[in-house]
Amino acid sequence: MEVLVENVTQVWPGRADEQVVALQDVSHRFVSQRFSCLLGPSGCGKSTLVQIIGGLEAATEGRVRVIDPVNPDLTRPLGADSVMVWQTLNLFPWRSVIDNIAFGLEMQGIPKAQRYERAKALIGSVGLAGFDAHLPGQLSGGMRQRVALARALIMERPIMLMDEPFGALDAQTKIVMQEELLRVFDQTKKTIIFVTHAIEEAILLGDEIVVMTARPGRIKEVLPVDLPRPRSLEMVNSKAFGALFDRAFHLIREEVMTSMAQQSMALEAS
Amino acid sequence: MRKRKSKLARMAETATPTAVILAVLLAWEVVVRWRGIAPIYLPPPSTITIYLFRMIGNGSIEYNLGVTLLRIFAGFAIAALAGVTLGVLMGMSRLVARIVDPWIAALYPLPKIALIPLLVIWLGTGEVYKIVISAVTAFFPIVISTYAGIRQTDRGLIKAAQDLGANRRQIQLKVVIPSAIPSIFAGLHLGMGVTVILIVAAEMIGSSSQSGMGFLLIQSGQVMETEKVFASLVVLAVVGALIIKLQQWIDRKVAPWTIYHGGQ
Repeated sequence: MEVLVENVTQVWPGRADEQVVALQDVSHRFVSQRFSCLLGPSGCGKSTLVQIIGGLEAATEGRVRVIDPVNPDLTRPLGADSVMVWQTLNLFPWRSVIDNIAFGLEMQGIPKAQRYERAKALIGSVGLAGFDAHLPGQLSGGMRQRVALARALIMERPIMLMDEPFGALDAQTKIVMQEELLRVFDQTKKTIIFVTHAIEEAILLGDEIVVMTARPGRIKEVLPVDLPRPRSLEMVNSKAFGALFDRAFHLIREEVMTSMAQQSMALEAS
Repeated sequence: MRKRKSKLARMAETATPTAVILAVLLAWEVVVRWRGIAPIYLPPPSTITIYLFRMIGNGSIEYNLGVTLLRIFAGFAIAALAGVTLGVLMGMSRLVARIVDPWIAALYPLPKIALIPLLVIWLGTGEVYKIVISAVTAFFPIVISTYAGIRQTDRGLIKAAQDLGANRRQIQLKVVIPSAIPSIFAGLHLGMGVTVILIVAAEMIGSSSQSGMGFLLIQSGQVMETEKVFASLVVLAVVGALIIKLQQWIDRKVAPWTIYHGGQ
């Protein structure tokens, strides 16, 4: 499944002086089975963009189409082929691990025995065996992240939208989860759109890095990442990685400065 | 050595509150006896204890407490059912919320005890009046907390459910209502508290149904049997504490996730 973003503009409503242009005229083609990273300073609208792609927000202008390469004339409804993994995880705190993971299947009316069977298989594969009955509040941050990942994977949707999913994790757990995600990507060949503000993460995971500007968010440049797959953390020390990092850092640096200036101005105004 | 010390410290920590209670009782006993205070004003704890056992022995505590508890649970059950139902409906439908809001805004600040004369005119001083006055009072905190809980549902959870294919109905049943449970329970706790107050107060007013802890209190007070007044107060305090413990236990059984912070 590929995602075609065409001239998307997003304006948050309000009085004239309160209106915020989150995204301005963003167009990009997210190619099928490719891992794309959206890299940009905070507040640049990258979260908004993935939510529009996931059908959870309506764009003010422009459109997003999800296209099946096998059947390109048939435009699919937004959200039907994608699933989100959230930075805030959004696990249901009153549901056990297995009932969180099986939530989507439950909504489809799949009987308990069947959905538990599928959930159990996933629990094993993300390394949570034995924690079926635990509540999210009883788990560590990394384990909760695994539950969130399994809850998305069980939907078997071809597009996975990830909004800074590892942003809240400690450095070591983050590395483990990145490797886990690389394994999932190599095995399932999903189209992944991954929001991050960490340059290393974007290079390590992505096939391409879509660098965004500070608000209003526009696409500044698209950097292809031609590191071989399967990726591993050792590549961080390679020369190619270093060159990509310098490129991305150079591009993002002035955007971060602009973003910081915007934020301090907003603080002064308030 | 250090471990032992901490164990000792822990023991002291748990024993101190009990010791303070005993010290207060002892001081009370000593002062009353030493100063020769008449029991009609302040009976000593030992006499209160004797009266308490005597009242248990002749069955008056059991009977009146039983009647009071039945009234409390009847009033509370009605308030809980009506309050939670209406609160949920308000949370689900903007129209219902708009219709109900002015009524709640106008009636909630009204002291419900002020309704007693009207209710006595309408309903007499029998069972119905006592249950109605307590249910009406408990209804407000329950409906308000329920509505607030429903409205404060985390937007992120709703979006996540929507993304995972839940329809509107499923989101309400599987996300909005469960996420409001801690807030609903908080409302039920408040409601239970005012039910107890109102039932006992209502039992003190009107003389057609001569039963209940409130009646026992007012009757003992009118004939200056201060020992019985204190014994009844002790029973009410203990039962009140037990009801709160019971509610907390139910909370943990029904909503174990509320023990953990967030879950995010």
